Amino acid sequence: MLSHAFIIPLIMALSFLAILGLGKRLPKGGAEIGIGAVAVCFVLALATGVGWIQRTNHPPAVEHSEEAAPASETSAEAEPAEGAEAGGAEGEEAHEEIPPVIRSITWLRTGGGEITVGTLVDGLTAMMLLVVTLISLLVHVYSSDYVAGDRRYTHYFAFLSLFTASMLMFVLTENTLQLIVGWELVGLCSFALIGHWWEEKPNSDAALKAFLTNRVGDVGLLIGVITLYFAAGQTFDISTINEMANSGEISRGLLFVASCCLLTAVMSKSGQFILHTWLPDAMAGPTPVSALIHAATMVVAGIYLVARLYAVFWHGFNIGGTNINILAVVGSITLLFGALLAFVQRDIKKVLAYSTVSQLGYMIMALGVGAWTAAVFHLFTHAFFKACLFLGAGSMSHACHHSFDMKADYGGLRRFMPRTFATFLIGTAALAGFPLLAGFWSKDEILAGASQLGDGGYPLMLVMGTLGAMCTAAYMTRTVWYCFFGEPRGAAAAHTPHESGPRIVVPLIVLAGLALVAGFTNLPDTGVLSWVPENLALRFEHYVEPVNPTFPAEATVGPEFSHPEFSIVVAVVSTGGAMLAAAFAYLWFWRGLGPHGITQRNRLARAGYRLLENKYYLDVLYTTIIVGTVKGPIARAANWFNQTVLDGVVNGAASSSRWAGRWVYERIDQGVVDTIVKGSGTTAGGTGQFLRRSQNGKVQTYGAYLFGAATLLAAVFVIIASVG
Amino acid sequence: MLASLFASTAAPFDTPSVDFHALAPELVLTGAFVLVLLVDLFTEQHNKWLTSSICGLGFLGSAIPLLTLAADGVDRPLFGGSYVVDDFALVLKAVFIAAGYLTVLLSTHHVAEGDYWEGEYYTLLLASVLGMVVMASARDLVTIFVALELLSIPAYLLAGWRKRALTGNEAGLKYYLMGVFATAVMLYGMSLVYGGTGTTLLAGIGAQINGSFGDTPVAAVGIVFILVGFGFKVSAVPFHNWAPDTYEGAPVPITAFLSVASKAAGFVALMELIFVAFYGRDDIYGPLMFVLAAATMTVGNLIALRQTNVVRLFAYSSIAQAGFILAPLAVAGENRTVGADAIRAVVIYLIIYTLMNLGAFGVIIAVSRKTRSGEIESWGGLFEYAPGLAVTMTVFLFALAGIPPLGGWFAKFQVFRSVVSADTGAGYALGVVVAVNSVIALYYYANIARQMWFEPVPDGDRTPIPIPGAISVALAVTVIGTVVLGVLPGTVGHFGDVATDLLAITGP
Amino acid sequence: MEDLLDGWGLATATFLPLVGTAVIMAIPRAQETLHKLVALLTSLTVLALTIGVAAFFDYDRTRELQYLVDESWIDIINSRFIVAVDGMSLPLLLLTALIVPLVIIYSWDHFPEPHNPKAFLSLILILETGMVGTFVAQDLILFFVFFEIVLLPMYFMIGVWGGEQRQYASIKFFLYTLFGSALMIVAFLSLYFLATDGNGTPLNTFDMRELSQWAGADLSRVAGLLIFGGMFMGFGIKVPIFPFHTWLPDAHTEAPTQGSVILAAVLLKLGTYGFIRIAIPILPEAAQEWAPWIGGLAVIGIIYGALGCLAQTDMKRLIAFSSVAHMGFVMLGISTLTDFGINAAIFGMVAHGLITGMLFFLAGSVKDRYHTLEIKRLGGLLVEAPRMGWLLGFCCMASLGLPGLAGFWGEFPAILSAFNPNVEQVGLFRVYMVIAAIGTILAAGYLLWLLQRVAFGNPREEFAREHIHDMHVTDYIAWVPMIVLIVVLGVYPNLLFRVTDGAVIESLVAIAPR
Repeated sequence: MLSHAFIIPLIMALSFLAILGLGKRLPKGGAEIGIGAVAVCFVLALATGVGWIQRTNHPPAVEHSEEAAPASETSAEAEPAEGAEAGGAEGEEAHEEIPPVIRSITWLRTGGGEITVGTLVDGLTAMMLLVVTLISLLVHVYSSDYVAGDRRYTHYFAFLSLFTASMLMFVLTENTLQLIVGWELVGLCSFALIGHWWEEKPNSDAALKAFLTNRVGDVGLLIGVITLYFAAGQTFDISTINEMANSGEISRGLLFVASCCLLTAVMSKSGQFILHTWLPDAMAGPTPVSALIHAATMVVAGIYLVARLYAVFWHGFNIGGTNINILAVVGSITLLFGALLAFVQRDIKKVLAYSTVSQLGYMIMALGVGAWTAAVFHLFTHAFFKACLFLGAGSMSHACHHSFDMKADYGGLRRFMPRTFATFLIGTAALAGFPLLAGFWSKDEILAGASQLGDGGYPLMLVMGTLGAMCTAAYMTRTVWYCFFGEPRGAAAAHTPHESGPRIVVPLIVLAGLALVAGFTNLPDTGVLSWVPENLALRFEHYVEPVNPTFPAEATVGPEFSHPEFSIVVAVVSTGGAMLAAAFAYLWFWRGLGPHGITQRNRLARAGYRLLENKYYLDVLYTTIIVGTVKGPIARAANWFNQTVLDGVVNGAASSSRWAGRWVYERIDQGVVDTIVKGSGTTAGGTGQFLRRSQNGKVQTYGAYLFGAATLLAAVFVIIASVG
Repeated sequence: MLASLFASTAAPFDTPSVDFHALAPELVLTGAFVLVLLVDLFTEQHNKWLTSSICGLGFLGSAIPLLTLAADGVDRPLFGGSYVVDDFALVLKAVFIAAGYLTVLLSTHHVAEGDYWEGEYYTLLLASVLGMVVMASARDLVTIFVALELLSIPAYLLAGWRKRALTGNEAGLKYYLMGVFATAVMLYGMSLVYGGTGTTLLAGIGAQINGSFGDTPVAAVGIVFILVGFGFKVSAVPFHNWAPDTYEGAPVPITAFLSVASKAAGFVALMELIFVAFYGRDDIYGPLMFVLAAATMTVGNLIALRQTNVVRLFAYSSIAQAGFILAPLAVAGENRTVGADAIRAVVIYLIIYTLMNLGAFGVIIAVSRKTRSGEIESWGGLFEYAPGLAVTMTVFLFALAGIPPLGGWFAKFQVFRSVVSADTGAGYALGVVVAVNSVIALYYYANIARQMWFEPVPDGDRTPIPIPGAISVALAVTVIGTVVLGVLPGTVGHFGDVATDLLAITGP
Repeated sequence: MEDLLDGWGLATATFLPLVGTAVIMAIPRAQETLHKLVALLTSLTVLALTIGVAAFFDYDRTRELQYLVDESWIDIINSRFIVAVDGMSLPLLLLTALIVPLVIIYSWDHFPEPHNPKAFLSLILILETGMVGTFVAQDLILFFVFFEIVLLPMYFMIGVWGGEQRQYASIKFFLYTLFGSALMIVAFLSLYFLATDGNGTPLNTFDMRELSQWAGADLSRVAGLLIFGGMFMGFGIKVPIFPFHTWLPDAHTEAPTQGSVILAAVLLKLGTYGFIRIAIPILPEAAQEWAPWIGGLAVIGIIYGALGCLAQTDMKRLIAFSSVAHMGFVMLGISTLTDFGINAAIFGMVAHGLITGMLFFLAGSVKDRYHTLEIKRLGGLLVEAPRMGWLLGFCCMASLGLPGLAGFWGEFPAILSAFNPNVEQVGLFRVYMVIAAIGTILAAGYLLWLLQRVAFGNPREEFAREHIHDMHVTDYIAWVPMIVLIVVLGVYPNLLFRVTDGAVIESLVAIAPR
């Protein structure tokens, strides 16, 4: 399976075509095709994972991977489906190296050289395959109930399939060019699904915003990829790029430039601060889409990109050797500012969206401080509990007239929909980092990394991370209060809500269960937990983290790559802080304690509140100022220039020559005549018509003209002749 | 004393041996001339059509000896080299005769329907063509002069043929007066050159023009005056202002004839003079031709932009075309290969131009039979009720504009080629001038096409136009010729090649 | 079959349309169906011929000219009738042969006013001869003749069947292009006289092969620059490159749908093809000196065209302006003088031909149904004609260079190759690269705004009631091939790259890669 992974996205692509083609004729409008296809994919993904685990346990003994790339390329005639088995299954016995399984065919040929397309399977890929297919499967099932009777039911499932295909293709990518393709395709699906209900302008606006913001990031992606392409000696191959970065064959400067460019792409796709504004608006799409695309999978594409090209960032930002760097700063700012914004939202999906922004901030920060495994692990756990929360929110709105305004329309729902309540609570706890739940382990590992890695730890990141954890706990408590406690309001009160059907609840339960246990896949075995048996501890790290020259751990240059150890202090402090914050929120909402209405009384508080409500005024900056001016004055100026100046020149040339024509004709050609006519017309008076016409001067004039010209020319040339 | 007197007077006179084969075309034309005259005398009004047919047959007949002469293709100098029948002469005789025949085809109905004197018309036409045919062989100042008068005087009369119309009289009289002025200038120039060189043979002049006499200002004056005289004939700016009025006033077939044949005759004379007589003195005719060419094409085009009357527009367009034809002569003196290129270019241009322009006038005649107006507006919507004529006219228009694959492009291309081949600053400058002018020219040609295709019918009258047989034959010949010469320019290129033996006469 | 094609394949493909025209001329005006049939059959035969040519094309020798025919044509100027195809011209030849029948099918039922299919179809066929001939000609004069032949039919097509401003647009197109080609022919002639073989004796030939062999050796720098300048004007106006583009929006907007499609799909390619086929191989040094200027104008065109699009209120005019931007990418790829860049340029030509052609088809159909292209009056196309709406979305995505569709492969490699061009001013070209990349944002902007305003939302009141007919059967036949090609080429670009690559490498041999 490892070498046939390309089948997985292929199935989904075919499913997309099938649904488009004959979905409308099927009883379930194409849903069955999508669900079936994604189920198969899930199984195959499991197979891949198993295959990789075996490969890790019994590393193959083959020669080194450099020969793999050329050997793996088949002739240009091959169709994408076919291709040669990568001789890439190899490693060195010395320190049992586990190279990824690469398989590729020629995609295009230029300058004699060939550019390939193919699949690269290693632990990270396998993990992503599992997450994507699983969540996608659950979301498919969930949607078959949730969007039932929608105006474009079939298109909806078609695009779900297309998205899954693109995402799988993206995580399987073998080179950066292919990476761009997947990157843009998931963007397209996001565009289509955000704007699913495009009759309402706000939805299509949100879709456009998402696409255009990502385009801005894509500029960075394009330039970064191009830089790496030439830096690595004209290749898109990811393994080669990483290895050359690790062996110091690519200069620091180039790596830094490439990293910065790629970072902008990451910021736009993974909603990092200042390019995050599209993500909350993206909630205009159907809720399952928000769960799948804008929480669990697509938005982590940026994280995946950094993790994939980690050697580049590691050396580019000198992550191992500093205690502050751009990546970490971006991540930490995002996690804190995102969390703050979550406090002022009325729309539950926006709360969750900002919490997603903040969690993505955690992942980026983790990568920034060098805790690679922690970041990927958090990606893994976050997918489950965040999907769980989104789907729970969907379930609630399903019960409350499709409203998401938790302040106006929810309240006291725990009585009506207990299962949703339970699962939502588990998700919240996991997100807030309640001990032993999924979020606890991953978040704690990140903070541990921030405290230990780099050149003597990243103190700033540690502080912000802890603060972020507290905020998270607090705003999630707030959400839970608005949704499930107090008295029903608005829609919830209008008619008694009811628990949703099985196709909605079962996915919730599955996800909640995963949110409970997923954390144990990476039990630390250090510090106070040293009693954890060897074959249970750090399984995730053991299987997912690459063990080959493409990973900084094997770098021949630059600082040492190390793993954080479990530190009870960090764990206790962060968790305690979170609990404390939750407790404050509890007092505030349940007991009604604390300075309520301070935002009315205190100017400073009000100002802060405004700032948050207006999302730091970033949207004003982008939409009104930047886009407004480009669309308005600048574009109009360009058009004016075109119509007036450039066209003016052209038309001017034409009209001026015509003017010259008239001038010569009237002034010279005929003018000579007319004047004489006026002069001599009178003298010829009385003579007959015929004479008059012949003697009216024209002829004499012409004659004089002719002789004159002849003499003049003669004179000129006499001079020429006598001189020359 | 008396004896000595007798002795001196009794100079032996031996009649020159005449090569009648060489003179056959001229003789046939003369015969036709006489025949038409007699037939015209002894036929009733309703039989006057005979004259036109005889005239046409005369032209065709005169073509036969041309072929036989071309077949054995040896140069035949007569009368001590003052009259030479070589390939150059043959090619251009063919052009003139063809032009004459096409003119007859165009004239037949026009003359028969209008109240003209048919007999004299064709007589004069024959006479004028005869003059041109002679001009093609003339290699002697006197012969050239005779030929010129022989082709001009009938033309003066024909131009004034519409004697009941004032414009007609004006046309004839103006053309006549200007013509004699020009002739006067030219004769003065000839006398100067003769006085200097003591010979009227072009070859003889060519031998001495670089000698002691050549450097005197007198020679310059002579050369300039002679060339100016022909500059008038080809209506080169600034000697052009007779043309529009004359063209507008003359009967349209005659306008076609003048704008093609007599112009061509002028160019033939110019080539003979430049390449045989004055070839060494490119320091004089080079700049002169440069000025004339540039001025002619630019002024002609610019003015044509403003014309609203079709005939008048074609008058100016033919002036501009003359400018294009003059361009190669400006660089001809650079060296012998360039000179050969120039001759080739001019001859090719003349051949193609004859076809295009006669064809265009043919359409004008056909259309004016319906519209009764020379205004361009009256052509509106022609494509809707007379698509055939519209397409044909379009072919001629864009051929004149030089758009491939219609004949004109190759003519213009040859001009480009010869001016560039000189590889001199003047040459390239002229090339750019030609380029710009061909763009300007396109505008007014396309403007007529625009009227025919894009505009509605002005008076809503969509009755199709009946096209007389003769005219349709003429149109068919010209349109096919125009397209074929455009697609396979090699054919006409051959004529251009053989014509270059004109240069051989002067020797190295 | 193969040796048959070898002898007469290309020549027949070139001149068969003229035969078709003659037949149509002969058929009386009343029998319109017959006209359509003849035209369709002719164009389909040409398509079959070119497919045969492609089928028997030797893809291992793409860098060599195949199906070479070399007959004498105009001896006195030593210009010969040389036609052949190599990897560079084959894709464009196929594109041309494909587009024409599709256009004829599309216009089957709805000819623009004033109807008159006889004249319309004749013009289209004459156009085809010109376009096919240009792509197969291997002699400068032959190339020039075909290059010019396309002018007349397009002039009449715009002028007779066009919109309100048709007369202005048509004459502008005509004069502008003719001005360029007049300078171009002077350049060709000076090549004829200045090109010499090794020991200084002039070649006096118009044969592109020999001239490319000569490659500007022992030609003075200034002369080379001037001659290249002449060709630059000729080809650049046709492309059109930035300051010379003003004829394009007018021509596109006023032309009938069929005219716009052919104009966008093929005619604009004549210019760029001229650059890579003639200008660069024959004068490589001059090309390297001109490259920074061309590249600069190209990126200006990218940004400028996009801004122009943002300001448009008319759907068709917007698409027309987008052509300026897209051809900017093509020219950028060419100006890098790298194999990847020029491969991308050729890919970009084909992709732009298909995508923008489709967009013009759609615009034409919208005009047919709504009788207006004013964007603010349109809206809700997806509601009233879902299929057309989705197609519009598809084409917009393809046009903004979405990976997986054809547009991407013309765009990204062009930007990429600007990173290190075969030109001295590498730094300058990196700036170009960034600007071009920013151009892609604007491209997404104007296309998505177009999509939003035309397809999304609910229809305006004025159209809410009336029934808008979705795609006709002719639309299906005409559009499906293009859509399929856009996808296939996008998924597996090697289909095109492996064809062009060899020829491109061949055309760059004289330029030392740095």
